[in-house]
Amino acid sequence: MGKKVAGCFRVMGAKISAAKKMSQKRALISICLLYLSYIIIFSGFSGAQMVAFSEQEQKEKIIEVLASFLPAAIEGWRPRAPDELYTPETIFNYIDGAGEVYRSYGFRWLLVRRYEKEGQASIIVDFFMMGRSEDAFGVFTHDLEGERVAIGQDGLYKGGWLAFWKDRYYVSIYADQETPEIKKAIFILGQAIARSIPQEGKRPALLDWLPASVDRNRVHYFHTLPILNYHFFVMTDNWLELNETTEVALYRWAKTDGAKTCLLIISYPEAPTAQRAIRQFLRNYLPEADEAGLARLEDGFWTGAKVEGRVVIIVFEASSPEEIESLIGQVIEKVRRESVSKMG
Amino acid sequence: MGQAGLTRRDFLRLTMMSPLAGAWLPTLWPKEGQTNLSESKIVLIRHPEVVDDKKKVNSQVFQAMLDEAVAALFGTKEPLDAWKLIIKPTDIVGIKTNVWSYLPTGPEVEQAIKRRLLDCGVPEERIGIDDRGVLRNPIFKQATALINVRPARTHYWSGMGGCLKNLVTFVPDPSVYHPDTCADLALLWNNPLIKGKVRLNILLMLTPLFHGVGPHHYSEQYVWPYRGIIVGQDPVAVDSTGVRLLQAKRREYFGEDRPLQPPAHHIIYAETRHHLGVADPARIKLIKLGWQEGGLI
Repeated sequence: MGKKVAGCFRVMGAKISAAKKMSQKRALISICLLYLSYIIIFSGFSGAQMVAFSEQEQKEKIIEVLASFLPAAIEGWRPRAPDELYTPETIFNYIDGAGEVYRSYGFRWLLVRRYEKEGQASIIVDFFMMGRSEDAFGVFTHDLEGERVAIGQDGLYKGGWLAFWKDRYYVSIYADQETPEIKKAIFILGQAIARSIPQEGKRPALLDWLPASVDRNRVHYFHTLPILNYHFFVMTDNWLELNETTEVALYRWAKTDGAKTCLLIISYPEAPTAQRAIRQFLRNYLPEADEAGLARLEDGFWTGAKVEGRVVIIVFEASSPEEIESLIGQVIEKVRRESVSKMG
Repeated sequence: MGQAGLTRRDFLRLTMMSPLAGAWLPTLWPKEGQTNLSESKIVLIRHPEVVDDKKKVNSQVFQAMLDEAVAALFGTKEPLDAWKLIIKPTDIVGIKTNVWSYLPTGPEVEQAIKRRLLDCGVPEERIGIDDRGVLRNPIFKQATALINVRPARTHYWSGMGGCLKNLVTFVPDPSVYHPDTCADLALLWNNPLIKGKVRLNILLMLTPLFHGVGPHHYSEQYVWPYRGIIVGQDPVAVDSTGVRLLQAKRREYFGEDRPLQPPAHHIIYAETRHHLGVADPARIKLIKLGWQEGGLI
């Protein structure tokens, strides 16, 4: 298990410390259970080791670990039913096809808790544990509507819905009614959960390649074609060969001339895949492109694509070829600079 | 289009050709010859008092709307004569409802349909109402007729939750229909438990959801009291009209063309790939009845 276990122990240590601060009364046995649960969750135990626990026992331990991040009560709201646990296989039982979004970001577990209070709407906490902090950030960027709030590493609030991410956790807190009392409870709850997550996580490195003019708060990060098409419909055929191994950043902005330009940066694991993807894209989507990969489309705006090593950069619907070349040039410069610094 | 996929270029070309046709899907509606049907007839009926300010359905008003719509759809003077064209006393009838907690079909609607089935002479014990339990429900397993009813809403993965999608609980693993954001949902309708049995589709536009946020894809602010229902035998035509309404509302609310996310392309493919019905508004004979204010289309 090597590095994974070492990582688990670090997380474990921080968590235990946080847990101690939160409650001195927590019994030693609970800590031991947490310890075991972390090993199960974080280390990817082999099947032989896993059989030591029954499926039900594993589920209970995981619930216990994840639930330890959530407060027992907040402003008079308390859970009245047991927490629910969902996996990538069972999430459809909870949120139907929407589960595909979270699956595309490789979520591991989802803990659902409903806080109830007499005469008030329920507050639902969806506590997702993702495989990587980058994907917790990514799933947060799926819905960027709302007002930015200082909860977690990034937070958004809109009409009874608070979402934030921290470390490898993505948290959605939702009430289907919004009153001042409910809003206050949602915020206190969010702050408590964010505090219980001991450390911060990395954002996708891909974001460093974005031009300086890009508003980082409006960037979507994802992996697969359906999510690309969700944000910006391009094509139903997967000529760009997007899958769980590709990393994509998408930024779209409106301009004064009526154009809504879209910048897409795709990082592939290997350069040959990037080369093949851009060939397919140009052949099928932009067959009239010139040698520089630029073409003026039916609506009068310009689209262009280029590849740099294992990175494909596409600009859709820009005002001019110069704008595309400038945007792509800025990205390529940053990609090259990073390559040089890694070599150094 | 056939089996080939769609691209953004298709939309751009067609939007340039018909800029007033609206964005996205409406510009790509298939043309005659791409379906087995040349035309479909559906009814859109609205009433200002069918739901109150708290979204409570008025049973009597709803019943009257349903009756008027069904009579207009089948061209009969009396509503019951229309119901008797599609339901026989010997039928075993499943009312396929929808229990999504934020926007369910609701008992007032279910009971209005059940009342007419009883009026057709179907014994109560041969009428079932179910959603997620249809595969375990003996009535649905033996059903000779289905009435497909649900509220319209935008959907996180298929673009729109409508009549086409409502039957997904007839398969043990609905996720098999998720690829390409549910592009081939119409294949559901070949399921032996469904094929040839759906006698009527009722898309509730009483308080539709035209936009959603978060994992639960629901927010009160994106529900509007349209106070209508769309009734038809062709689920593709019914959903196609529903999606036009959702898009029209989005345009009105956001002040710009805001395409459904993701695009509800399963409705186009229901015609072009699967020949289930008519998606092209030009070939849908839409009968509009009742209250017209704020009709949007």
